[in-house]
Amino acid sequence: MPAKPKIAFFDFSSCEGCQLTVIDALQTHLGLLDQVEIVQFREAMTEKQDTYQIAFVEGSCTREADEDRLRAIRKQAAVVVALGACAHLGGVNSMKNRWAIGNVQTYVYGEKNKETYPSYPARPISAVINVDAAIPGCPIDRFEFLHIVQMMLQGRVPKLPDYPLCVECKLSENACLNTLGKPCLGPITRAGCNAICTTYGDGCEGCRGFAPEPNFEYMREILRGHGLSETEIDARFTMFNHYQLQQMGEDAPLSPEGLQSLNGELPTSTFAAPKEAEGHG
Amino acid sequence: MTKQIVIDPITRIEGHSKITIQLDDNGRVEDARFHVTQYRGFERFCEGRPFYEMPSLMGRICGICTISHELASAKACDEIMAVQIPETADMLRRIVNLASVIQSHALSFFYLSSPDFLLGLESDPATRNIFGLAQKHPEIARDGVRLRRFGQEIIEWMAGKRVHPNWIVPGGVGSPLEPEVRDRILETIPEAYAIVQHSLDWFKRSLENYADEIRTFGNFPTLFMGLVSPTGGLELYDGSVRVVDERGSMLVPGFAPDSYQEYIGEAVEPWTFMKFPYYKPVGYPDGIYRVGPLARLNIIDACGTPQADQEWAEFRQLDRGMNFSSFYFHYARLIECLFAIERLEQHLNDPRILDKRVRAYAGPNSGEGIGITEAPRGTLIHHYRADSQGRITWSNLVVATTHNNLAMNRGVKQVAHRYVEGDRLTEGMLNRVEAVIRTFDPCLSCSTHAQDRLALHVELVSPDGEMLDQIWRD
Ligand code: SF4
Ligand code: SF4
Ligand code: SF4
Repeated sequence: MPAKPKIAFFDFSSCEGCQLTVIDALQTHLGLLDQVEIVQFREAMTEKQDTYQIAFVEGSCTREADEDRLRAIRKQAAVVVALGACAHLGGVNSMKNRWAIGNVQTYVYGEKNKETYPSYPARPISAVINVDAAIPGCPIDRFEFLHIVQMMLQGRVPKLPDYPLCVECKLSENACLNTLGKPCLGPITRAGCNAICTTYGDGCEGCRGFAPEPNFEYMREILRGHGLSETEIDARFTMFNHYQLQQMGEDAPLSPEGLQSLNGELPTSTFAAPKEAEGHG
Repeated sequence: MTKQIVIDPITRIEGHSKITIQLDDNGRVEDARFHVTQYRGFERFCEGRPFYEMPSLMGRICGICTISHELASAKACDEIMAVQIPETADMLRRIVNLASVIQSHALSFFYLSSPDFLLGLESDPATRNIFGLAQKHPEIARDGVRLRRFGQEIIEWMAGKRVHPNWIVPGGVGSPLEPEVRDRILETIPEAYAIVQHSLDWFKRSLENYADEIRTFGNFPTLFMGLVSPTGGLELYDGSVRVVDERGSMLVPGFAPDSYQEYIGEAVEPWTFMKFPYYKPVGYPDGIYRVGPLARLNIIDACGTPQADQEWAEFRQLDRGMNFSSFYFHYARLIECLFAIERLEQHLNDPRILDKRVRAYAGPNSGEGIGITEAPRGTLIHHYRADSQGRITWSNLVVATTHNNLAMNRGVKQVAHRYVEGDRLTEGMLNRVEAVIRTFDPCLSCSTHAQDRLALHVELVSPDGEMLDQIWRD
């Protein structure tokens, strides 16, 4: 009998929601465990081995020590898969890149503690190592996860849908939210979640990242039609995709004010005083 | 045997914490501290962003109690909109909240803690987990999986996604309940009752085996805090906040969520990223209080549902009144699961539950909003301020695990007193420290918005600061 491929899970800056989704997926698809051997999974087991062929990585890279750990994983694994928006795109973590970083720590923990914990702008793992595949979403979709793992076990390269969410949404026979007065990023977002949020009544927030060749200007126009301000539209675009937009630099489809705040140029709080001044320290 | 994948608590806690034990001149334990060494910064993330994004954004703090964060956040946003949400939306939010409490309690009780009680703290750590449990007590392991799935499926059927659904929105919920979803949930309820009843039976029968743990696991008087309903009943979604002292006397029968800052202060210590909330009228650090399942059962006048009330009456007889031992957190979780199933069933059988009006729309009509709910682990506070365009200008989050920070530190100290001998750390002591922390079921992802992981690390330190011994659990 050929040896089962060994797979390992790792987490960086994350909420662990993607790993929990993997656990859920495995509980209903125990058969998968006959095909692979899980050798590291902090969420699920204590014991661990350091030889593995496939590494699933959850979370963003947010500090220097993360880079070494990522490189070590890359060196060991034949295949590295980014698990979820944090690892794939930077996800919600990269929102903090709007501020000069020390400021975030000071804000939460006060001047005297901020040095204890080094941190820098959040990035997807592909900013540090080569990534062979990504499973998008916040969190990942458990059926897509199972599907992609099956593909990889058959030696095929998994391909993500290259069309926008609206296609799946229409197949689900939903009434379009953008015509019902609810803002939805479906037209510029990569499909694959089966339009789950729009099916349950709220607009897509773009957690799977942009679809290929998104028409941003058209999207902004639709959102303006809902009465959203330019800043609100910027916020919609940056919730999960801040890092992607940062990479686009001057070409990012944001308002002038939005462009300014992309790269940590907000040195101090734009609004309130830090908390200590409020007597919370 | 088929292998099952489950969550292991030890490793989860391991992620983010360190414990130091300080000895005095006579080699006795002087102090013990539970440190948390990282943070993610959500309070800052949200600044400048539209308030209506908050439920969705704040849910991303934690994959386990997403629903609690989304609800506390949505309630704060309801206040920023200055709306009262439709009554059906209120009930629907309550149902997913109860389902979320059940899935989280099932995780804590069956996956994380029962291996300790059923296999023994001295048993081999390599098998003292759900795998070992599934081998020795397959029916109990299966109950755990089933009960967790019961809660998870309700969330998925009603809200679309199990983790981070977009369905909880300011002003209500995204979509009404479909009749067939209601019926599907009602069909699964009898099994859930059976699991909880059966679990309560064996757990109660085995209580006498844990006399030692009960005595030494975070067993000390503290204040207790949590939400109560207008009639003093168990309340997990909305109500006033009650504080009760160690004798069970009422300090505050119920303060309005909006006045929490008059009652709760937050201290910062330089050695940990987790803050130390305390009861302001008593001061820091004497104003130590606990939140969570044990606290909730200690502060109420009754649960308010028939089966849970029976169990609760028995529970309150254990120590003839207030129960101090953190070991009873486990017991309390089972009683709360029973309550949650009963309540959920009541809401589902309410004819108004299928009403299509489930969302109020409004802009930012107020500059401030405070939302308090009971997360599985205890009181959760989201507090935002917003400018006239509805952009968040400031936020403060106080999460369940943080409320318990002082008590967890005291719990670790109590165990250290009892089990540290000489200048060496033993495996047995480490196990007990972990187990006592686990009774609180801390969620370090929530309380620190964890940035990445460090191993659990215990240091034993002499009076002059020399490190005598250390253990890494990796
Ligand atoms: S992608 Fe979303 S669900 Fe996954 S770890 Fe990141 S925040 Fe959590
Ligand atoms: S609701 Fe959103 S995803 Fe669906 S069709 Fe409309 S824009 Fe596209
Ligand atoms: S609908 Fe949009 S926000 Fe929701 S899961 Fe799909 S991509 Fe993410």
